Amino acid sequence: MTTDFAVDAQGLRKKFGAIEALRGLDLRIRPGEIYGLLGPNGSGKTTFIRCVAGLLRPEAGTLTVLGGAPRAAVSAGRVGYMTQAPALYGELSVYENLRFFAALQSVPHRDDRIEEALRTVDLLDRRHSVVNTLSGGMRTRVSLAATLLHRPSLLLLDEPTVGVDPLLRQEFWSHFRKLASSGITMLVSSHVMDEASRCDRLGLIRGGVVLAEGSASELVSRAGTRDLESAFLALAEAR
Amino acid sequence: MDPHRVRAVAKRIVLGFRRDHRSLGLLFAAPILVLSLVGAVWGGATERVPIVVLATDRFSGPPAVIDRFLAADAIQGRRATFDEGTRQLRDGEADALVWLDSPSATLHIVIEGSDPLASGTIGGAIQRAFTNGLAALGQLSGPKVVIEQLYGGSDYSLLDYLAPVLIAFFAFFFIFLLSAVSFLRERTTGTLERLMATPLRRGELVLGYLAGFSFFALLQAIVILLFTVFVLQVHYRGSLATIFIVEGVLVVGAVSLGLLVSAAARNELQAVQFVPIVLLPQVFLSGLLIPVDQLPDYLRPVAAMLPLTYANEALRAVMIRGYELADPLVLRDIGILLAFGLVMAAGAVASIRREVA
Repeated sequence: MTTDFAVDAQGLRKKFGAIEALRGLDLRIRPGEIYGLLGPNGSGKTTFIRCVAGLLRPEAGTLTVLGGAPRAAVSAGRVGYMTQAPALYGELSVYENLRFFAALQSVPHRDDRIEEALRTVDLLDRRHSVVNTLSGGMRTRVSLAATLLHRPSLLLLDEPTVGVDPLLRQEFWSHFRKLASSGITMLVSSHVMDEASRCDRLGLIRGGVVLAEGSASELVSRAGTRDLESAFLALAEAR
Repeated sequence: MDPHRVRAVAKRIVLGFRRDHRSLGLLFAAPILVLSLVGAVWGGATERVPIVVLATDRFSGPPAVIDRFLAADAIQGRRATFDEGTRQLRDGEADALVWLDSPSATLHIVIEGSDPLASGTIGGAIQRAFTNGLAALGQLSGPKVVIEQLYGGSDYSLLDYLAPVLIAFFAFFFIFLLSAVSFLRERTTGTLERLMATPLRRGELVLGYLAGFSFFALLQAIVILLFTVFVLQVHYRGSLATIFIVEGVLVVGAVSLGLLVSAAARNELQAVQFVPIVLLPQVFLSGLLIPVDQLPDYLRPVAAMLPLTYANEALRAVMIRGYELADPLVLRDIGILLAFGLVMAAGAVASIRREVA
């Protein structure tokens, strides 16, 4: 199973009872790009990301992650997954949380990597704070730091900037850009249109299928609208 | 106070449970289960007739007395030599050993003694059987009676008998509850999803839980032992290491069962409701309150499936009778507990599905 794409999904289908979350989703992400998965709540963004993270098995279609099966990429420590909610151990300190996740990923030089990750999310001075005492935005930053520790080749960020203030959101995106420039491929889901323009390419997703793909400017010009939000609505109606 | 607001709160609670069928089911099923157990255990418990070995090589009374004694309804009499009788007593095959020293007209009774409540009953039954036998032969004056105990003694109390099983019970109860709620928290807070998206294997996760909770279980055992021995002055004979080994294998089952239960519960409320389902049968049937051999026949196979039955038996054997780790009974109980733990651990691994939704 070889492919030139970091993520290559063809005809993915996934059902939860009577609800079909993915209905033949086709999507390809090139190595080193920031791919934005843009769509409303319930459009299938998280389901797709969970498939890529090896947490859900599609019922139909093919999915290749970093040239192999999703689970193989995850087991090899090549994938970093930041969940929508900052899934951390509230009773442990920031450092203890990061130390734990670093151990799971067999990260070498753990203390150096933890310091590096904390510096990236600007939380070095809170390393000994208990996570339960942190604000929501700080917890999101710790969650991102935990995802970066093992320097994955593919980062899956499920709505990473939800609950993050505009200033910090700006910083997050500058981190994401730096990570992408170092060769890391990123799949970022969002339902905030203004964030989408920061991605190299976008996939507009609705009802479990990709409506359109391209850069923000390509999508706007294809839809003949003035902004991305209008383009999304126009493309959704056209389907 | 606004009754409308109170009504709104009450209605919210009722509506909240409306869709929680599991909680509603347990709310009614748990008391029925407990009441059924109480009814079955105390309604059908049998007063066990003690097995008494008469040491023929040390019984110098008239043969008719021996026959009358062995045929008495109050006991199940057997004949054996003194040495064989001692062995049977030590191995739990008999409850008492009896012989009569004619020159001194003394009836010697050695009771197994590990259960202080049973000891009194056994001594009484033997004396009754003996004096009834004498009375039937026209002899009214009975011999002097000397009662000794193989284990325990007059300074042993009910607490000495209960302490070993309480150690097992506390370890099982707290570790089961803590592991169930902790793992449920992994599921509900999303950390399990995160863990499953790392190279961590499900077996590694379960083993990590086992190791972590075993550490606390052993600490707990040390605290309980120190408290019972030094504060409550409980008598204790066996090796500390053997107690910890029994405790360790019991905890493997408790943690794994906790993980299994957490897979069946959707929230902490539901997890807590599994406590009576999992623990109460063990309280009633594992020998904690009533010896297993006095349970109604149909409940004994159930008792044989409960881990606390074996932990109680092993810990009592070690702490009261001073059995060593190499004793077949202790080894058998440890083996059964280990097998239970491994089956539960395999179930726990299978219950952790990598799929999160």
